[in-house]
Amino acid sequence: MPAATAFERPRCHPLAALGAAFAARTQAWMRHRQGFDQLPARLEQRRLYILPTRGGLAFTALLFLMLLAGLNYANSLALFLTFLLTGFALVVMQQCHRNLLGIEVVAAVAPAVFARSTGMLQLTLGNNGATARPRIEAALHSSALTTADLPAGMQQRLELSVPAPARGVVRIERVRLSTAWPFGLFRVWTWVHTPITLLVYPHPHGVLPMPADSARPAGLRTHVGVGADEWFGLRPFRDGDSPRQVDWKAYAREAPLLVKEYVQGASELRMFEYALLAPLDQESRLSQLARWVVDAEAHGERYGLVLPGLRLAPDRGPEHRHRSLAALAVFGLEGDLR
Amino acid sequence: MSVAAPALAAVPAVPVAPLRPLLWTCAAFSGGVLLHADRVPPWAAGIALILIAWRLLTAYRGGGDPGITARAFLALALVGIVLARFHTLNGLAAGTTLLLLMAGLKLLETRGPRDQFVMVAASLFLLLAACLDRQELLRAPLYGLQAWLSCAALAMIAAPSTSARAAISLAGRSLLLAVPLALLLFVFFPRLPGAFWAIPRNDLALSGLSDTMTPGSIGQLATSYDPAFRVHFLGPLPPSQERYWRGPVLHEFDGQTWRRNAFEVRAPVARQPLGIAYRYREQLEPSRQRWWFALDTPVAAPDTRARLTYDDQVVGTEPLNDPLSFEAVSYTQTRGTQPLEAVAQRQDTELPPSGNPRTRALAESLRASAGTDLAMVQAALDYLRQGGFVYSLEPERLGADAVDDFLFRTRVGFCGHYASAFVVLMRAAGIPARVVTGYLGGEWIPYGGYLLVRQAEAHAWAEVWLEGRGWARVDPTAVVAPERLQRGILDLMPQELSVRGRLLHASPWLAQWLQRWDAANAWWTNYVVRFDYETQLNVLARLGIRSPDARYLGWAFMLALCGWLALIAWHLGRSRRPRRRDPLGRAYARLCRKLARIVPRAPHQGPLDFAAALGARRPEVHAAVLPLLTRYAELRYGPPAPQTRAQDIRAFRQAVQRWSLPRAVRRR
Repeated sequence: MPAATAFERPRCHPLAALGAAFAARTQAWMRHRQGFDQLPARLEQRRLYILPTRGGLAFTALLFLMLLAGLNYANSLALFLTFLLTGFALVVMQQCHRNLLGIEVVAAVAPAVFARSTGMLQLTLGNNGATARPRIEAALHSSALTTADLPAGMQQRLELSVPAPARGVVRIERVRLSTAWPFGLFRVWTWVHTPITLLVYPHPHGVLPMPADSARPAGLRTHVGVGADEWFGLRPFRDGDSPRQVDWKAYAREAPLLVKEYVQGASELRMFEYALLAPLDQESRLSQLARWVVDAEAHGERYGLVLPGLRLAPDRGPEHRHRSLAALAVFGLEGDLR
Repeated sequence: MSVAAPALAAVPAVPVAPLRPLLWTCAAFSGGVLLHADRVPPWAAGIALILIAWRLLTAYRGGGDPGITARAFLALALVGIVLARFHTLNGLAAGTTLLLLMAGLKLLETRGPRDQFVMVAASLFLLLAACLDRQELLRAPLYGLQAWLSCAALAMIAAPSTSARAAISLAGRSLLLAVPLALLLFVFFPRLPGAFWAIPRNDLALSGLSDTMTPGSIGQLATSYDPAFRVHFLGPLPPSQERYWRGPVLHEFDGQTWRRNAFEVRAPVARQPLGIAYRYREQLEPSRQRWWFALDTPVAAPDTRARLTYDDQVVGTEPLNDPLSFEAVSYTQTRGTQPLEAVAQRQDTELPPSGNPRTRALAESLRASAGTDLAMVQAALDYLRQGGFVYSLEPERLGADAVDDFLFRTRVGFCGHYASAFVVLMRAAGIPARVVTGYLGGEWIPYGGYLLVRQAEAHAWAEVWLEGRGWARVDPTAVVAPERLQRGILDLMPQELSVRGRLLHASPWLAQWLQRWDAANAWWTNYVVRFDYETQLNVLARLGIRSPDARYLGWAFMLALCGWLALIAWHLGRSRRPRRRDPLGRAYARLCRKLARIVPRAPHQGPLDFAAALGARRPEVHAAVLPLLTRYAELRYGPPAPQTRAQDIRAFRQAVQRWSLPRAVRRR
């Protein structure tokens, strides 16, 4: 399966296809014009685009009608009203532009997720200005908007959902930031071109039992059971450790956060091999391997992974889990990825 | 395959509109309705307000809005009613009424921001209609408020989480910033010399002089303070007894009512002006009628928009829907140089074949004793002077023989009675005579340097044809109430005035302010409401642009526009720092700045973390600064001590101020 992108459009009307082609050209032009962004990036004037919204166009039509009426009757008050509202619209245009100008895109990360779930692009926006920036919208494509108010001098995190239907790498090439504040007559927008990759692990699925310990002779295996875990020791807390493993009693005695380590079944070792799942097709094999990795990690077992052309030595912990699942995620896609 | 849905399917879930934008939309629309409340038929305004209340009720208490069928039916019914009432949908009054009702109906189905936007647009359009309808200075602030309210509603619709105060201040600020551009456009935007698309709009009559006069039927003459017109004299002012402003001249009398003879087209009688030629510029208030009230005898039609009739009236080609001004030259004394035409002779001596027998008898007896026409006029005036006649604005009603009744029974009346009786006497004696209606007098407004003529100064007098003199003005009222010529009618009849009038009369201070207010109104009418092509040229000339070249003006305008845009951008971009940051935070920031030379504080570090980091890297500074950092943490995060807080903070600030890096450290 090829890497999915967030911008796949359903095929439909030829006019829509033409529009899509035009949009693609425009996007390419904009990227070429701006280049890629190094975060943190400030939104400068030359990259903000502004156009009237549909409401703004209706407002313009209203102004035109008012002008006609005022001119026709040579009515000064009607003309003044028209001119006042014209000035108002122009002021609104500037306010709208101001609302996006100078916002800082601090960070954009997308934590890895499993296939068939929804990924989350976490976008951190900063407002160093002295005035609040209400109603800032962020979107990957125009349909799903996330709106946030940025108070003065603060940072705010916005979460954008990214569909992750299949394993692989979702490349988010650009994020659209826009705002129609304050009166909804204009919308100013910009594209932040920053290569964000969302790693999508295979969907963990499969019913095959985990392969038995393959690293030591069967005769030496000790009895495996839930109650058979052996005390191994304490180590400092690391990100990703389960709260269940924390030595809360020690913490209550004002010790630093410590994690109790057990060695299950006297350090049982499992090797998950791609080649051994021969009857299944590739995706099912990867799903099965992902299932095992997740389960083994949850049980605190040590596990290794053997893929054609790749061998991960047995280990455990969040980093190892990620390494293993990432290898499964991109397996067979390296050519597509670059 | 799909099965037909049951007839009474559940109502599809409609996203409920947030209440606040809806409320503001309703407020903006109500403002638009109220601007027209006294102009559209009361039922229309009532229906619109009921629809608003209905929408709000369904929004607050839930409940269905009427279905599409009901709405369509309602719309058709309302259009039908408007058609039945106005016989047209064209025209300002009918159009406004229709807009009011249809927008009210639209309100019933407003759900999302788009519908609400449409409603605000309708409110703005109602405001435009109000501007087209009336342009009084008093209403200008109302119009401004309505524009403000509508813009605030727009802000609320665009961002429903906005607080009311924020929306109001945002809209107000934006509109204020727009004012310079609006003024610029107002002065420079090219005006059209005439309308390109006429819509009838004279469906509502205003107060003013009518073209008939029935003295007997009026029980009370309205004394209205409203201005009728204003006159700037470009030279000497006529004396107050000469300030007769000519309106409809009435020739035909049927025993009760005097009428114009409207369709007569004749040349004016040739005459020779006497005395001073008065040049003046007159500003007429809209009256929805065609009379242009020129000073007594205008020399010619002032304008192509009006014509001069044979009896010296200036009649406009269009009814006065908007304020209008013209310049004219008039004489107050003339001498006819031609005999009266036979037609006029016959017409202006005509009386109904019967009626008013005692008046006829009186005329005959006076005629018998008087030799000449002039003597006859004098005799009739003497009769009025000596007959015990009383001037009053509240005379009795008169019977069938109105003139007899007045001359021989009631003997109480106002100008119309005297003019009518006098002309009947003259005609009965065979002297051509006619009734002239118009205004007499005018109040001098020193603040604007003009003469203000109010509706209350409406007057009627007579003109008689005297051989060798031509038409001569005779004011029989002046004989009965000579003061009427010298002083305004309002001074003359304090007891006849309304409460408001009496109040004004009693307080010179108030009267003065009233004059100022009128001057402001005159300015408004002259420079704002009537800012047309000519005024524009005048203003440009005053700015030194003698012959406005379109290209040159265009460039100047673009330059001004760019200047304004730059100013706005600068204004919006100016960083408005919060005026009062907390003093504790300021002191802490200062301490951190002092320390930044050796160890800058990372954004994530609290005061104690920062102290620890300092301790790790620069232990010698750590000892010196630790008490301060600890103190800050205490003050910021410790248990509150409201009594001593201000004092503590001050002490901390002073401590920070005194503290400096050890010299040894600084040198390194």
